[in-house]
Amino acid sequence: MIANPYSGADWNAVVPLSIVAVAALVVLFADLVTPKGLAKRWVPVAISAIGLAGAAFTCGEGWGHSYAAFGGGFMVGGFATVFQEIVIVAALLSVAIYAHVGEDENFSGGLALLLWSTSGAMLMAGAGSLMTIFLGLELLSLALYCLCGLSPRATAGEAALKYLILSSAASGFMLYGMALFFGATGSVALAALAGQAVESNALFLCGTALFLIGIAFKLSLVPFHVWVPDVFQGAPLPVTAFMSVVTKAATLAVFARFAYAAVTGPHAQAILAPVYVIAGISMIVGNLGALAQTDMKRLLAYSGIAQVGYIVAALAGSTALGLRYAIFYLAAYTFMNIGAFLVVALLSTSKEEGSALAAYRGLGRTRPVLAAAMVLFLLALAGLPPTAGFVGKILILSANFDAGYAWLAGLLIAGTAISLYVYFKIVGLMYGRHERPHPTEVRPVAPLAWAGLVACVLFTFVWTFDPLGPSNVLPLVK
Amino acid sequence: MPFAHHVMGVEGAYPLLYAVWLLPFAGAVACWAFGPQLRRLAGPLASAVIGAAFAGTLLMWGFATQSVGGALGAHVSLGAWTRGFDFGLLMDPLALIWCIIITGVGFLIHVYSIGYMDGDRAYARFFAYMNFFVFAMLTLVLSDNVVGLLVGWGLVGLASYLLIGFWFERPSAVAAARKAFVINVVGDVGMMFAIFAIYAHVGSIGYGDIFANVPALGGALFLICVGLFIGAAAKSAQVPLHTWLPDAMEGPTPVSALIHAATMVTAGVYLVARFWPLFSSSPDAQELVATIGGITALLGAILGTAQWDIKRILAYSTMSQIGYMIMGVGVGAYEGGVSHFFTHAFFKAQLFLGSGLIIHALHNEQDIRRMGGLRARMPFAFWAMTLGVLAICGIPGFSAFFSKDAIIYGALRHGHPWLFWTGIVTAGITAYYMFRMLFVTFLGEYRGDVDPSDLGIRHPELAGTPLPAAPSHGESAEEPHAPAWIMEAPVAILMVPSVFAGWLLFGERSPWHAFFAQQFRPEATVATGIPELAASAIVLVMVLAGIGIAYYRYASKPALENATGRLQQESVHMPAALSAAFYFDTALDILFVKPAQGLGTVFGRWVDPKVIDGAVREIVLSCRWLGHLFRSFETGLVRAYALIVVFGAACFLAYYAFARGL
Repeated sequence: MIANPYSGADWNAVVPLSIVAVAALVVLFADLVTPKGLAKRWVPVAISAIGLAGAAFTCGEGWGHSYAAFGGGFMVGGFATVFQEIVIVAALLSVAIYAHVGEDENFSGGLALLLWSTSGAMLMAGAGSLMTIFLGLELLSLALYCLCGLSPRATAGEAALKYLILSSAASGFMLYGMALFFGATGSVALAALAGQAVESNALFLCGTALFLIGIAFKLSLVPFHVWVPDVFQGAPLPVTAFMSVVTKAATLAVFARFAYAAVTGPHAQAILAPVYVIAGISMIVGNLGALAQTDMKRLLAYSGIAQVGYIVAALAGSTALGLRYAIFYLAAYTFMNIGAFLVVALLSTSKEEGSALAAYRGLGRTRPVLAAAMVLFLLALAGLPPTAGFVGKILILSANFDAGYAWLAGLLIAGTAISLYVYFKIVGLMYGRHERPHPTEVRPVAPLAWAGLVACVLFTFVWTFDPLGPSNVLPLVK
Repeated sequence: MPFAHHVMGVEGAYPLLYAVWLLPFAGAVACWAFGPQLRRLAGPLASAVIGAAFAGTLLMWGFATQSVGGALGAHVSLGAWTRGFDFGLLMDPLALIWCIIITGVGFLIHVYSIGYMDGDRAYARFFAYMNFFVFAMLTLVLSDNVVGLLVGWGLVGLASYLLIGFWFERPSAVAAARKAFVINVVGDVGMMFAIFAIYAHVGSIGYGDIFANVPALGGALFLICVGLFIGAAAKSAQVPLHTWLPDAMEGPTPVSALIHAATMVTAGVYLVARFWPLFSSSPDAQELVATIGGITALLGAILGTAQWDIKRILAYSTMSQIGYMIMGVGVGAYEGGVSHFFTHAFFKAQLFLGSGLIIHALHNEQDIRRMGGLRARMPFAFWAMTLGVLAICGIPGFSAFFSKDAIIYGALRHGHPWLFWTGIVTAGITAYYMFRMLFVTFLGEYRGDVDPSDLGIRHPELAGTPLPAAPSHGESAEEPHAPAWIMEAPVAILMVPSVFAGWLLFGERSPWHAFFAQQFRPEATVATGIPELAASAIVLVMVLAGIGIAYYRYASKPALENATGRLQQESVHMPAALSAAFYFDTALDILFVKPAQGLGTVFGRWVDPKVIDGAVREIVLSCRWLGHLFRSFETGLVRAYALIVVFGAACFLAYYAFARGL
């Protein structure tokens, strides 16, 4: 008999993501036994929601703890908990969109894939070793490849294939980098990399380059962003919403852990500098690219490139405050971005997704509530008060100045200025006087999507006041 | 800058204080949002809300006057932003007096407005603005820090703007509202700079911290006081920032009564009284404040003698009376200034509401030359106005007698003899022009049917008022009007304090003195050669002389017999300087308005379209061009994408390869 090297605490650590993974199995099983009809949609959705809620709850239990499970392979508590909760919330909101616009064909299958992808992202958020990072990344990505293609539309297949090819290449870069790390240290633990950042360590430097290429690809930083617009536009709407937040949140967790825990020493900032440079470029290019778009999903893809640039910029200098502000902005971004996708979903008709910009013409008169919500999300994305986006950007700016990255702050301001034009073009379309209202087909009430929208509106607004409170303390990474 | 945190009041929960402060806001929101649903209920609702706030204020009395270990009044904390930025509400005796007037007199004026505004198209909007004004004013006086004060200050200006321009179909109302707003903003800016300077020196915005650190202000103290006083002068219509007040009479009469007589315009008095530790430490600033106050008192009274519009007469008298108050708080007689605010609020509100009765009955006629003989037609208005006039003139026993004499004698006691004499002369002129208004309006024959040009009225096209209709119910049957008592009852109630409120101040052991004993530190006094009784006697003689001249000119037998001719003579021979209000408007126009317009033209015609818009256009075009450039990379071909990714990867690797020499 081989003695079990892992204690109960180790297994407890993976309970939240196991719940999500098992919920996916239950969804598939329930699909077999539920009769045709309305239940075919609502039972799987209910199971997913319950599974995610359970995961959120058990994950929250680990909040105050700090435990390295599986010999440092998977971390519990603090930092990991925050990212996992963000992933779960984003998944829940995506499920709300999916329940509204998901195709009847393969409905449960798509939902199960979404949940598995979520569990992969949760694994990445807590990953403490190179192996768990890769495991989580592949679990996340494999499910997403399928999800992208899960639509009868021709563009979906194209999107899935592009994503598969380019993402696999990125995974290859990353895996190669990991192999070099292992060569440098003889260990797969991230912690073992600490102190390796010296000039003579060629293995470590090459490994870092390849590893960060993979990270930048997943974060969709320029110039590794080329796949994003096509894939976001082609994929089904809920999948786009999911990808826009969850992939980025999970990868950001990995990058933050790498930047803060693995790259130490006097050269740390010089080693990470390329990422911050491309983050700065992303802010400009992402917003410029969004200028010329006529499709909402594509526009949000470009704006997402810029937004992730802002979040990564907060980490520059590896300051404790910077990480806190990055997490704050990521959480705010989750709500404002998925909120915008929820509006798109609620505008969708049975024939087409409500993503063509022309569909927003005169929306202020035909669907005033939706238009008002959209304005709030766009204000938040543009970083204007009274929204969490405004506070988040101010905090990131202050973090940049404190850490000595004033040029990043300058790029952030320039990018924001360009983005105003992007977002207000939509506001102008919705409220312009001369625009003729676009006739829209009103779909039946979708309680879940509306609930999600209300939640997004509330959080986008209420979080504005959070950093002003006395206890704006988020637990930090060690 | 480390220092102990000072709070002025006794810390506590005081739910009532929140209620007093926020009820009017809730009322404003309700009237604004549900106006169409409330219809005619908006008025009673808004009045009830202010009435409740008044009751709350009275119930707070005990807390507002409590004193524990040097802390006076009630204080609640509204939370802090960063260190030095603590927000809170403070109700001490000074704030309590203002709250009583704001909510008490405010309540009566709200009730009056139910009748006065009845039938107006924007009935609910009017009450929403009125409630909002009360909220803003309460924010101003209840705030325990300079930022809250500034917010209240600005909101009050906004409410005033909205209410002066309430009848925005009239171009004159819009112009008056704009003028009031602009001049008020001039004051706001002065005050803002004072607040910046205070924060820079003290490091806190709380009154408690500021007053405990007056020495820290050092050489900036005088400039800070001047900045604060610019704010006070703009809001309280002190020379030379007074020109907006007479124009502000374009608003509905209850607005004039509440805002431009009883409460808002006295905010400057509140400001100086609130910042007494600063002003008391700067004799230069005190001298400036007192001088401006004295000049304003005299100037307002002189201009009051030349007006024909009943509301403009009252407006100039307000300006003059506030001049008294400013003079009082300026010389250091804080109790005198505050008590004159207290008594003035009652009799001035009564005078305005009384004039509103006349204006309402005469269908918006405001020119006293076209009145006359109204005593028989409107006995109630006559008695209300008469009591108000007796009060404002300071006839012994009436309220202003006590408060005005406290200021006039205070000026002497604190070593400003020439202000003392200014006050006495002003009192005489006040008696003259107030009785002039009373006699011309109520005595003699009704002149509404006389050809306006025979009365010397230059713009007869504005006239054409019919006789006040005898109350015939047949005519008003189609549109139900609010009962007349709803307008008369508030005036009747106001008569009581406007006659008797002064007795609070009587004698050395007056309850008023005890009330403010802890609020203000007594200022140094000088020996005077004139005893207080003698001073009062001199004032009385002047007042009687003023009344005598007014009687001779307007109420004696020959004057009444040839009233029309005499009024025409007076109108035609009015000195140009007086009818142009001493050219202040013209001067301001040449000094500020014209240059500002010229500058605006330069920016509007040239700088903005050419320089700024041009630059913006270029940036937009280049952004679009870049956007299309980046879009051209989006070919949709995987091999192109892969190429870009590989290019990026090569850059990355190259960096790390060359970074070997980090």
